[in-house]
Amino acid sequence: MNETTMTFNLNGRELTHAFAPYRTLLEVLRDDLGLTGSKEGCGTGDCGACTLLLDGQPVTACLVLAAEADGREVTTIEGLATDGKLTPLQVAFMRYGGLQCGICTSGFIMAAHALLQNNPTPNEEDVRYAIGGNLCRCTGYDKIVRAVMAAAYDEGELVDETASQPVMTKPLFTEGPM
Amino acid sequence: MTTETQIVGQPLPRVDGRDKVTGKAVFGVDVQLPGLTYLKVLGSAYAHAEILKIDTSKAEKLPGVVGIVTGKDLPKDVDLNFGSRGHSFLAKDKVFFMGQPVAAVAALDIHTAEQALALIDVTYKPLPAVMEVMDAIKSDAPQIIHQGEAASDMDIHNADVAQEKNEDKESGGKAMQVDEKANVKSEGEQHDDGQMEDIGDTDIREAAELAEVAEHGGAEPSYRNIANHIVFKQGDAQQGFAEADVVVENTYRMAQVHQGYLELQNATASWDSINQQLTMWVSTQSQFYERQHAAEVLGLPIHKVKVITPEVGGGFGAKFGLVGPLVGLVSMKIGRPVKHIYTRHEELQASNPAPASHIWIKTGCKRDGTLTAIEAKLFVDTGAYSGSPMSIIAIMLAQPYKFPNILLDGYEVLTNKQSVAAYRAPGGPNSAFAIEQQIDQMAEKVGMSPLDFRMLNASEEGVIRPDGSPQPKIGLKAVLHALKKHRIWKEPLGPNQGRGMAIGGWGGGRGPASAIVKLEGDGTFEVVVGTVDLTGSNTSFAQIAAETLGLPISKIRVTRADTETAPFGPAAGGSQVTYSMGVAIIRACEDAKSQLLKVCAKEFETTEDDIELTEVGVSSKNNPDKKKSWPQMNEATSGFTAKYAPILGRGSAERRKGAPGYAGLVADVEVDPETGVTKILRVVAAQDVGKAINRMSVEGQIQGGTVQGIGIALWEEIMYGADGRVRNASLLDYRKATARDLPFIEALVVEQASEDGPFGAKIVGEPSIIPPAGAIANAIANATGVRVFELPINAERIMRALGKVQQYDSMTTVSAETTKRNGHTGRDNGSSNGRARANGRKRTGKSVTVHGERKSRKTTTRTPR
Repeated sequence: MNETTMTFNLNGRELTHAFAPYRTLLEVLRDDLGLTGSKEGCGTGDCGACTLLLDGQPVTACLVLAAEADGREVTTIEGLATDGKLTPLQVAFMRYGGLQCGICTSGFIMAAHALLQNNPTPNEEDVRYAIGGNLCRCTGYDKIVRAVMAAAYDEGELVDETASQPVMTKPLFTEGPM
Repeated sequence: MTTETQIVGQPLPRVDGRDKVTGKAVFGVDVQLPGLTYLKVLGSAYAHAEILKIDTSKAEKLPGVVGIVTGKDLPKDVDLNFGSRGHSFLAKDKVFFMGQPVAAVAALDIHTAEQALALIDVTYKPLPAVMEVMDAIKSDAPQIIHQGEAASDMDIHNADVAQEKNEDKESGGKAMQVDEKANVKSEGEQHDDGQMEDIGDTDIREAAELAEVAEHGGAEPSYRNIANHIVFKQGDAQQGFAEADVVVENTYRMAQVHQGYLELQNATASWDSINQQLTMWVSTQSQFYERQHAAEVLGLPIHKVKVITPEVGGGFGAKFGLVGPLVGLVSMKIGRPVKHIYTRHEELQASNPAPASHIWIKTGCKRDGTLTAIEAKLFVDTGAYSGSPMSIIAIMLAQPYKFPNILLDGYEVLTNKQSVAAYRAPGGPNSAFAIEQQIDQMAEKVGMSPLDFRMLNASEEGVIRPDGSPQPKIGLKAVLHALKKHRIWKEPLGPNQGRGMAIGGWGGGRGPASAIVKLEGDGTFEVVVGTVDLTGSNTSFAQIAAETLGLPISKIRVTRADTETAPFGPAAGGSQVTYSMGVAIIRACEDAKSQLLKVCAKEFETTEDDIELTEVGVSSKNNPDKKKSWPQMNEATSGFTAKYAPILGRGSAERRKGAPGYAGLVADVEVDPETGVTKILRVVAAQDVGKAINRMSVEGQIQGGTVQGIGIALWEEIMYGADGRVRNASLLDYRKATARDLPFIEALVVEQASEDGPFGAKIVGEPSIIPPAGAIANAIANATGVRVFELPINAERIMRALGKVQQYDSMTTVSAETTKRNGHTGRDNGSSNGRARANGRKRTGKSVTVHGERKSRKTTTRTPR
């Protein structure tokens, strides 16, 4: 099979890679480049487990051909933490119980990360909309939404990732029927 | 007993959190090995057929193909039982559902494997198929005949009832009469009974009456395709109805639903031909079950199979041995490692989802609300192989309440669908959808509030359950009291809004379990377990160990070991892991601690009660100069010149006493009268958990189970065509709840300590999925004034119930519901969620009344102890 070559920026590093042209970005990242943080839950763009950022925009990588990433910036879950330091959003997922089995977690974090980049002060509806294309079967979404809200408004609180869950009586969560 | 605790009870983050928020955690789908090949499965093209010929010659020639297996390659020296799904991982001569594995190709890459599938020629002789449970029992229905006994795999799911059943069998006690395999004929014995008339597919009453006729005539019920039949009887139901002032009778149907775990079923196997040993990485809920099952069907000694469990991306009852055997077989044939990941299409067409059911039920109460009797006849659609929770569904119809008179008649029915397995409190939603609507209707008729009616009749300690066993101490009334006090009852309801509640309980599993605890060189304690962490159990284990040792949680590490190195751990099913393993860990930590105290007392020349354990090390309370840091302590017990034996705590816990978890839910909904779309406004989910070891995990379990239950209530349904093809085999069309469909789910944690669990904990994971379907059905009835008797209660069914859809028999409709999706690039944004229906299949449940006196049944029944 003839291979095609692309040069792209993967989590801050330029990279050139050759691959069969029919392969998806998800497959190339997972199978060739060893970045297995993005997951495949459906292969049809319905579950969001493979969500990553292409030029800063969230995409479902199972529907993106690898060739489409040529010359572009790809950010995966592996590219968020720097030198072992987690982002407030990642800490919030831990502290607020926004993950259980963890298979959908990277997709949710990438979708939420994109939201907070574009809209640092989202309301509950904004958060639910932003993660509306991501399926989670464990949490019922409750603690995921809270984690994203907390990351937006309570960043300072979210330094120690091993501390217990903050008490959920902050004004953020008591205004009206959430 | 609940004790004062420091670390147990705290809402601490998961110990595996860091790996999971950075994408570092390795799941089964992420396993990579040198020389790995990729597997694709050719599924049956028919729902029911004989396989005449399989020609793989063209596929074998495709470059990149490493090997192909078919039924011919099944181990010759193993006596496989083709009546069991667990043994039918590759079809031999016949297929019983569409998508059933017929051949498997291993290739150097997944695309080549996929290409090769198209080159395999299979010649089938199609047989008539039957897809609907009420069609399958008809006397002229196509018969599903396995070459082997119908073997139920349900017992591994540790439901309380299954265990009681086994105990009874073992002790030779008064076992319930199970007329197993009543009508499953083995090859060669096939004959037509010809005793029954046609049974309308929507009207179970006729079925019940015809059965009556058949029984009265002295014959066995002549239903076809019955894999199991069971009757539970207590008191005299007829007498109970005679005493009743109010009798309510209806038929309730539930669709087949999928467990919906996001990590697709997968396994990787590597065969070592020199040592004749198989190593498998399986996404499983029980590595020990997986090992035993693979050894059994592949004809290997158990010690020649090693199972390693990576992180598991959800299971909910479905991950027990579905994929392991086939990859094992292929790896043994090709002598190379091979990996198999289901596609989502295969998940929905050919995995092991949760059963559809058809339940006719009649309940009665007195004017003051006291229940007098329950009678039910239920048909549970197990798909192509036995293994449904039919008897549990029967029991759970009556179990939450004090029914003095009970008659439950259950049938497990074979159809040509993928066969079913467990799904979180297996059968719980099927039961609660029926009984909880009955309860509301009776409450309304006697003029009581749904909550007071339940409070009056709620089961409690000592009440004899339908299977004859007494109810242990349960927290059902505490749950009802907690709900009663909640402010949700004061929230005003607007037009088209309604409120509903429901309850449900689950027995759950209870061990046995074992664990070890080691003191490591850096002074941390390593807890080694063989259980899979699905729910945050490893975090709870760390808390339990820290609490028991009296050390901060930072000193504890929890390691899941494989089947070769771990002490036995029970399946992560039946909500039992923390409940039973927690006790083993307490014992292991106490053992380690007592070893430590002995060593220290000797070393410091003092008594054991003078020794103190702290974050930095051990010391004498009376003489603080006598102390050792943890690394020094390790040196003293494991160093080159160590005087003392290494610290190795061992804990084993026998099977625990039952600690059922009871849950209750109140939901507020709004139904759009123009479209029939239901919106969930508020949800309060209460559950008695005994003691929340980790409050955050416990809330997460309650919220997650509740939302799965809401999915069953409103959207989820695997829809089959008459040919057996699933018509919505994608996550766009199989509609699961998204963040946009839901409000926050308030988890009300009730703690009524258990006798036998760690720190008073009870089973937690499963009960929350039981009440939602019933509660939402009741809320919809409250909002609209009409009841829907069939799950899911989608917009279309509500519109039908409201009489706003006519002439449906001949038309195909698409509901007004749309999937709520956002606009990520590469997604179908807001596309309509097609809910096309089969032509002419009338499925809306309806209320039926049986006139005249019902005849007493001849079936042998169980008398309570």
